Amino acid sequence: MALPNVMNTGRTGMMAAKANITTTGHNITNSTTEGFSRQRVHNEANAPRSSHGKNLIGDGVTPKRTMRVNDEYLEKQVRNAGRDLANLEEKDMALKQTEDIFNEMGGEGLNRLMSKFFNEFRKLANEPENEAIRQSVRESTLSMANDFRRIRKEIGEVSRHIDSRIEGYAKEANDLGEQIRDLNLRIKQQEVGGLNPNDLLDRRDLALKKLASIVDVTSFKDKEGMVTVEIRGVGPLVVGAAAEKLEYFRAQGTEDGAPENSLQLRTSGSVSPTITASVKGGKLGGLLEVRDRTLSTVLGRLDELAYGITDSVNQIHRQGFTREGFQGVDFFKPIEGGVERASEFIDLSDAVKSNVNFIAAGAEPDAPGDNRIAIALSGLQGMKLMNGGNATMDDYFNSIVSDVGVFTARNRENMNQSKDIVNQLGKLRDQISGVSIDEETTNLLQYQQVYDASAKVIQVADEMLKTVLELKR
Amino acid sequence: MRVTQNTNFEAVRESIRRTKDRMEKLQFQASTLKKLNAPSDNPVAAAKVLESRTDKVNNDQFLMNAKLAESHLTNSDHALGELADIMVRAKEIAIGQSSGASSTDDTRLGVAEEVAQLFNQAVSIANRRVGDRYLFGGFKTDTPPVDESGRYRGDRGSLMVEIAKDVFLTSNVTGLEAFNTKPESSTDVQLQKSNAPYGNKAGDRVPANTTADVELQGPDAVPPTQSENVNAFDELQSLRIGLLTGDLEGIRSTLERFDQLHARLISNRAKVGSRMTGLQTTVTAIERQNLTNAQLTSSLEDADMAQVVGDMAKEEQVFRSALSSSQKLMQPTLMDFIK
Repeated sequence: MALPNVMNTGRTGMMAAKANITTTGHNITNSTTEGFSRQRVHNEANAPRSSHGKNLIGDGVTPKRTMRVNDEYLEKQVRNAGRDLANLEEKDMALKQTEDIFNEMGGEGLNRLMSKFFNEFRKLANEPENEAIRQSVRESTLSMANDFRRIRKEIGEVSRHIDSRIEGYAKEANDLGEQIRDLNLRIKQQEVGGLNPNDLLDRRDLALKKLASIVDVTSFKDKEGMVTVEIRGVGPLVVGAAAEKLEYFRAQGTEDGAPENSLQLRTSGSVSPTITASVKGGKLGGLLEVRDRTLSTVLGRLDELAYGITDSVNQIHRQGFTREGFQGVDFFKPIEGGVERASEFIDLSDAVKSNVNFIAAGAEPDAPGDNRIAIALSGLQGMKLMNGGNATMDDYFNSIVSDVGVFTARNRENMNQSKDIVNQLGKLRDQISGVSIDEETTNLLQYQQVYDASAKVIQVADEMLKTVLELKR
Repeated sequence: MRVTQNTNFEAVRESIRRTKDRMEKLQFQASTLKKLNAPSDNPVAAAKVLESRTDKVNNDQFLMNAKLAESHLTNSDHALGELADIMVRAKEIAIGQSSGASSTDDTRLGVAEEVAQLFNQAVSIANRRVGDRYLFGGFKTDTPPVDESGRYRGDRGSLMVEIAKDVFLTSNVTGLEAFNTKPESSTDVQLQKSNAPYGNKAGDRVPANTTADVELQGPDAVPPTQSENVNAFDELQSLRIGLLTGDLEGIRSTLERFDQLHARLISNRAKVGSRMTGLQTTVTAIERQNLTNAQLTSSLEDADMAQVVGDMAKEEQVFRSALSSSQKLMQPTLMDFIK
């Protein structure tokens, strides 16, 4: 066994220690990098180069490969939990905005304005001759109609806000799709070369996780190490080295409950004109669910209420006689187009708007004290005219409010639960892949000692060589 | 278990976030004095609160209505009483002048003047107003119900007032009922549509010709009426004419009819009185309901301040200990010990 070999053994030790120290440094510097998995250098003892009789003497060390410490199954769980949380968080935001529209726990709102509206007719019934009361009937009706329109408008704004978020997320999903495609290519190249592209794998996992938080995806690895990403229920977004695009465009309302002129989605590769209704889960799924289900339902019920009030009040009012003795005058402007968008069109009729004496309080002409129509109108408040004769208008509106409350509360509960799950999984992931500074510092010291000792091996070999060279002198 | 710095820091962040969140909620409750600040805080309670707020607004209106009806009824009652007194006085005059022994042309002329006064007085009582409204004209509230010749110009309209949900009370007595013993055979008013309120049932919103009797009223105390209608003003006139012409037979014949008129007025007063009793009962019920409602609403939406303040103190303590333990957790690393 030659002395230079001993030197070489020392050298491999120093090299390996250096690799380890570098990797430790890499871990420490990336300890707060999102999606990073700590890396470990796997060292291998070199096989002896030559034999001395029957004795095999080792030949140092080789840092064989650097691996990331990562549990693929756990990553998947983290991804799914993140997807659910993102979904619930987006819904929470949109529902919170919706709830604020209906929140009259603190003061005025449609509920109060509606009871005011009916009570004005009770006041009118007390004194049908009184012009001042007629004025206040008109004013309270205008406030109520205004509030219907306000609610409708604000729901529309929530809807538009959702659209702008959908647009942003669709763009982000496309970015991520491209990132995954690019990473696929680079990972394949490196793996073909027999390398472990740890950091690229981490980055691809992270991109996948982010993509999953936007839309529900499934992914699997092919033989070359590239992942295929499919949007669940829709089709592929990334296949190996090719990425499809999520396209968004404005469209007229569809039967799926999407509002007029709202944002729709489709993929560049799919044949169907729109995939909006198939997108589930993640941020996009959450936003679409609120926009096309919750808000549409709420709006539909608001329209029904507005139409119900307009229609039932008019039916009775037309039977009455105005101060001037006219019969058949509408109180509200009749809504021609039916229930749809009624809450936008609800308004006083032009006649009543121009002159409060066109309000009909009595059932007979020339009977200024006749209050029967006014009584009948105020009586509408207690009649079960909504929801197929099962709810009064008050009930109906209150049920909208409480339903929005229920949606919001249930969603928030799920969100908090989901947050706990994400936290728990995050801890688990950290337990496996996270960087512990204390641990790395300890490693650093250990590898430094290895480095020092390996250097010492070379020094000893050198001295031994010197001893040999000085034998001849 | 491997615990990394990330886990540590995340735990610190999370515990601070949670405590802050709870403190913020408590702080909001303390500043609004309400535990129900958004429907999602308790959706069922929120709907209930809205419902009882509507009830409160309606009940307040019903109480106003009841007050108004009460004032109408009281005024009607007084007027009817005064008319009854006039009938008594007219009957006294008729008794006094009905026999030749006590009645001479002179005395008759003298009291005829008084009867004329009684007539005018009766007309002015019949035309009594509350505010701008005539009491006895039915729906014709803006014109005098009785003209100077004693003819009724009002209608049969009964002014319904809603004094509780779906409980209606007639707040007026029409001149037709008050001044005639048999109003239905009076020729003063053409037969009109019935007074049934409009649209009491869902789907039944056309003018109903049925007499749906939803008003609160006492038993009809009017005695079985005689075949012929007697009108108070006509009777005063015929007494006056009898006095002027010395028609003793005619004067005597008014006696019985003044009795009938008096009985009619008294029974109308009784009717008004029983309506007022009903009104009082309803008002008491509504006030009680308002109280119960207020208690319910308060229990649903008001924060228990003692609890809130207690919880806040507790949360603050939790927050402090979270911070101090965080400090211990975050500070030392191995780096502090290898030098």
